[in-house]
Amino acid sequence: MAALRLAARGGARYAGNAPRLFARAGEHRQQLRNDLALQTAEDVAATLGTMKGVLMKLGQMASYVDDGLSPAARRTLSRLQDSVPPMSQELAAAVVTEELGRPPEDVFATWDPQPIAAASIGQVHRAITRDGRAVAVKVQYPGIAETIEADLGNVALLRRMLKITAPAQDVDALLAELRERICEELDYRKEARNQQLFADFYDGHPTIHVPRIVPELSTRRVVTSDLADGARFAELAGWPTAERDLAAETIYRFVFRSLYQAHAFNGDPHPGNYLFHGGGRVTFLDFGLVKRFTAEEMRPLAAMVKHLCVDNDPEAFRRAMVQAGFLVPDAPVPTPVVVDHMAVFYDTVRERGPRTMTGEYASAVTRRFFDFRSPLAHYARIPRSYVILQRINLGLFALLGELSATADWRGIAEEIWPFVQGPPCTPMGAAEAGWRARRTVRAHAASLG
Amino acid sequence: MTAEPYADAVGLVERYAAAFVAGVPDQPADDGFFGPASVTWRLSADLSAPVAGLRSVLIQALHPLAMAGVDQHSEWRRDPVGRLAATSAYLATLAYGDRASASAAARRVRAIHEHVRGVDTVTGRPYAAGDPALLLWVHAALVDSVLAAVRMFGTPPSAADADRYVAEMAVSAELLGVPREIIPASVAAVEEYVAGVRPELRRTPAAAESMGYMLDPAGMGEEIAELWQDLRDAALAALPGWARDLYGYQEPPPVTPARQTEIRQVLGVFDAVFMGEPGVLEARQRLALRMRS
Repeated sequence: MAALRLAARGGARYAGNAPRLFARAGEHRQQLRNDLALQTAEDVAATLGTMKGVLMKLGQMASYVDDGLSPAARRTLSRLQDSVPPMSQELAAAVVTEELGRPPEDVFATWDPQPIAAASIGQVHRAITRDGRAVAVKVQYPGIAETIEADLGNVALLRRMLKITAPAQDVDALLAELRERICEELDYRKEARNQQLFADFYDGHPTIHVPRIVPELSTRRVVTSDLADGARFAELAGWPTAERDLAAETIYRFVFRSLYQAHAFNGDPHPGNYLFHGGGRVTFLDFGLVKRFTAEEMRPLAAMVKHLCVDNDPEAFRRAMVQAGFLVPDAPVPTPVVVDHMAVFYDTVRERGPRTMTGEYASAVTRRFFDFRSPLAHYARIPRSYVILQRINLGLFALLGELSATADWRGIAEEIWPFVQGPPCTPMGAAEAGWRARRTVRAHAASLG
Repeated sequence: MTAEPYADAVGLVERYAAAFVAGVPDQPADDGFFGPASVTWRLSADLSAPVAGLRSVLIQALHPLAMAGVDQHSEWRRDPVGRLAATSAYLATLAYGDRASASAAARRVRAIHEHVRGVDTVTGRPYAAGDPALLLWVHAALVDSVLAAVRMFGTPPSAADADRYVAEMAVSAELLGVPREIIPASVAAVEEYVAGVRPELRRTPAAAESMGYMLDPAGMGEEIAELWQDLRDAALAALPGWARDLYGYQEPPPVTPARQTEIRQVLGVFDAVFMGEPGVLEARQRLALRMRS
């Protein structure tokens, strides 16, 4: 039990085997327990009310700080996800009817009443639209939004569960960010907008595919997008190394291209959100947890990378850290110590040349992140806007480590970094350059038209 | 009697969970003494169950002879968690086991009770755990507490279902040797019975000490200890005023709708933690499937 503290003082102790466990977290609820299907909104409330839905969401989002979870907390949160059965066919159809005005059999040319997957607070059905488009329809559990919103109101209890003993961790900021993100996820319209933003941005991309939204069939509790199929993360593990490396390269490009060019970050890099098609082509699913950054928020992040990895200017790096709010001003810590502490996060992009992401590296990053005894701990902060970015460190690296992916990460990063805009360093980079050129042409054409 | 100190309550949740899992059969020969359609099954699965459990122990302990039996004979001080887990294993088998398992479990309890006899040092009265009067007290305190807790913090049954529950539960007292004719079979009868026993109740030193322990068990770990505070407040709020007065506990703040929601949320967290223990989810799913078919 000791357990619900999402980041515990013992965090580092659990970090050793965390990435593997994290990767498994995506396999939840693959087996839909239709025999236990929820039949009424009351069933939904009994299953996900009284804090359980909130805990489940926190559990999913805990990959922010996931590696700080004790095994008992991890088990509790993962069991919670297992404990949610799908909706009965009737209940799901009732939600669709309420949201789209007519029963699913009328709205769609074909409606598969059997859900194909569990979503975090809903489930996914296959359907074919009246104009012949194969779509995935995500349907939210009725009453879940109200339940979770009400439970999020109990800030005192959430604080107790989230209590973080790191001296400088700002529990209130973390809590505020988590609450805001969870609330956003309750409204599928937000997710639909975000997914369409990514779909538009990556339109025509050689390896990145984001299913398009069908806006007229998307509402607060129903979101309809193109149906995608492909290999799951677990299958990818059995593919040849070259294929795994290509898939990893695409995921890496997606994360940083989105961040630097679109100023958007999909905060849910968990393994269930990808479909793999070979040749590095990847479909990205689930945009419920997207954080968009302002130019002001992006600037110091980019400056930190630039000063440390390109200019090799430790003092400027430190100033950028302070400016971003990661470090209090005038901390009595020598700059070399600051750099030494932070360097691990940039380890893969300090130098050119192929490097293999490993589980050990992901663990080292995690341990450093939770190293509350470091000389920096008292002066380090995570500003609220950047809370979600920790999932790069704690999620993306764990994912790539799980794949033992090899690439010239620095070379790829240089292509993406706006302050470098390096030439393509891989075949995928070259293909992407072509896509970018076409994008620019299209953008010009649009502005002229 | 030298009063040993109480052992730490390490593993309370874990052992409670193991007891529950052990009590839910894989392939029961029959539906047991209650069955999937019973009110007992529904109330046993209610969120308020931990409050009911704590309230029930608090009331049971006010009977000097019942308290003396626990204090002088069981492993209570040395292994309080084990003692509570044993009770909960028994109650789970009784509720969910088939008739053969439930009867066998009851026979084992009766055999143990044979050896639990003595003289209460406070009242000077002799006692025997197999005494139907004591067994009935323990039974009534449980039934009354389940109803009080579910009304305050759970999904309350209708008045008719509450009566049905009391009537259903009579068999559990009977299995331990209480003659059917003296077991209350309705809510009103339970209340009347409890009122009749009240003059005998008192807070003995053993009761004060062990309930002090129950309300604030040592060694549980900081996190669960924090949640336990809410559980304790909930149990104290669900206690009748006379029981609080006997213990000398202060009247807790009134349970406003907002406070009720808060306590339900804490109970939800408890429930999630409980469900995180091995086998609990599967056991619940087995029961849910039986309640459906």
